[in-house]
Amino acid sequence: MDSERLHEQFMERIRRGEKIEATDWMPDDYRKLLLKFIQMHGVSEIMGAFPEKEWVPKAPTLRRKLGIMSKVQDEMGHGQLLLRVAEELGAPLGVTREQLITDIFTGRTKFHNVFHMASPTWADAGVIGWLVDGAAIVSQAALLDTSYAPYARVLKRICAEESFHMQHGESIILSLAEGTQAQRQMLQDALNRWWDSLIFFFGPPEISESARRMMEYRIREKTNEELRQKFLSRYVPRIRSLGLTVPDPNLHFDESTGKWVYTQPDWEKFGRMVRDNTGPKSQERIALRRQAHEGQAWVREAMTRSTAVPVGV
Amino acid sequence: MQLKEAEGLYHPYEVFVQYDHLAHHQHVGSVLAASPDIALQLARENFLRRDKAVNIWVVRKDHIHATPYDVPEFFANEFDKDYRRVDGYADNARRWKAFKQKALHIEDIVNDLEKGG
Amino acid sequence: MVMENVQAVISNPEVLTALKDLLYQLADDDLVIGHRASEWLGLAPEIEEDVAFSSISQDEVGHAVFYYNLLAELGEDVADKLAFERSPHARRNAVMLERENGDWAHTIVRHWFYDSFEDLRLQALETSAYVPLRQGAVKIRREEFYHNLHHDLWFRRLIRAGGEARHRMEAAIAQLWSDVPSLFDLGPHADMLRESGILPVTSVELQKAWRDKVAGVMRELDVQVPTQWCDASDGRRRHTDALSELLQTMGEVYFIDKAAVW
Repeated sequence: MDSERLHEQFMERIRRGEKIEATDWMPDDYRKLLLKFIQMHGVSEIMGAFPEKEWVPKAPTLRRKLGIMSKVQDEMGHGQLLLRVAEELGAPLGVTREQLITDIFTGRTKFHNVFHMASPTWADAGVIGWLVDGAAIVSQAALLDTSYAPYARVLKRICAEESFHMQHGESIILSLAEGTQAQRQMLQDALNRWWDSLIFFFGPPEISESARRMMEYRIREKTNEELRQKFLSRYVPRIRSLGLTVPDPNLHFDESTGKWVYTQPDWEKFGRMVRDNTGPKSQERIALRRQAHEGQAWVREAMTRSTAVPVGV
Repeated sequence: MQLKEAEGLYHPYEVFVQYDHLAHHQHVGSVLAASPDIALQLARENFLRRDKAVNIWVVRKDHIHATPYDVPEFFANEFDKDYRRVDGYADNARRWKAFKQKALHIEDIVNDLEKGG
Repeated sequence: MVMENVQAVISNPEVLTALKDLLYQLADDDLVIGHRASEWLGLAPEIEEDVAFSSISQDEVGHAVFYYNLLAELGEDVADKLAFERSPHARRNAVMLERENGDWAHTIVRHWFYDSFEDLRLQALETSAYVPLRQGAVKIRREEFYHNLHHDLWFRRLIRAGGEARHRMEAAIAQLWSDVPSLFDLGPHADMLRESGILPVTSVELQKAWRDKVAGVMRELDVQVPTQWCDASDGRRRHTDALSELLQTMGEVYFIDKAAVW
């Protein structure tokens, strides 16, 4: 069968809402778009562990210590699930774990803007857990019906774990909001630091060429702007109910359009930061990941050389 | 898929069924067969006479590595680790109430997105 | 003598003091090793191991919480205060556990050494005369099963791999060896602990059992067993700057406002 015909049949499957498996025929374009997307998702989980990880040793109670440890552990676990999906998807192209990870150092893959930013206080850990995770949950939940079945399956598991993350993040910020004046100020300061990054997180409002193709393939179905609007609807009232001020004087809900109006973040600045890894913490965190990976190649090499020991001896 | 003839012996194959594309493969039992292609065909009628499915895996039993049943300690989780579960944060609902808000759950977000727009 | 609960022990000041001292050893050991283990989060040599190893660090901190809660029941402060507020010189963890993390080989050797010790200590505590501790020891030892299995696998495989891995493992063994006796410092009330049946074992017995096990495995792997063995008597008292720094880091947020709810 010629590839044009195969392509047409594939698109018919997509239009009928069928799910694509790793072993199915798929256009190169679909495979590559998806691979890039899932790799960025997986890598973002792994790089996303760092800003919160900084607060693991400093968590202010034993219970918080346990909670944040297990939360960051989940992020690594999500990275693992996603990288495995990417590895199988990319196998026909010779893609391996090694490559997916080293792409971070060479800049061939990107990670979300929020994970390039500094998290200087405990309240930042709270805001990451509450709002950055909230934003991530909105965008991940929007992918649950993605056309690529292996991705959809791990997203289901990821979202189930995210429901703990939501409560964990809220628990931290509730304590700060219920707390002393200094704690509340710490929370407000963190919100001020993260707001622009949160708005940028969903990406620019215009639909890029690759986003258009991904929507055609039903890899994703919602636009950046739709997701941002959902996020604002859910979270702005909550932020305000805590007595916090959203650091955007223009932010309001326009009844006539049914949409939130917000000040545009500096798209160019954030875009450059993600593209060139020039955020305040980009290089430091990439260096950590590089050290973990390259600096410990000897461990992985040794483990493949050594013979197995059965469980239970 | 690479199919190898068994060497004069029937082998047990463990059967894993994927009931729909959003589900992972699930172990349902095993069949005895002379080769994996036969095992796949046998699995269909031995395990899927009534149910719908989209995929079957068979894996030769001796290719499966397992934990021993007589070492239950392998799964020991003796202390309540509710800090890693939603119910460990049940008081969030009450605390939000003090701020005149309801607790938010992931189902709310999923519903938002299903509503479209 | 069986001490069913707090009431049974609280009337005997000598036993109470000894029991508290032991509980501080147990709690501080697990808190410090759990904290050090958690520093690997995001940095383990494989993503899969990152997840597995984090559960081990969570277990250790969870066990520390259990012991601190026993102390709180005996009239000491609440667990958070015990974990965050005590000064470095009041800590009773073995000095080996507070050392800064080295490479992965150092971490595996330290955990394997500690697991081997902890298993013996827990085994003794499974018959402790203090029932709440005995019951906890049974539960903790069940969770430690996986730790032992995991670190044992890493220990053996990294050594068997030869080359750089074996070299690093041997270097870690050499580096950590002189700290090992610190584990066996059972504190100034060791005799009372044994007589009362709270910890029905002596340091010498523990040392012998540990050396038999560890040396056995090392010989099996053709690794030289160091011969020197230092005095254990102050291994839980002569803390290093590494512990002060660890506690300072741990308390950074807590000490912004000790009275606040976080």
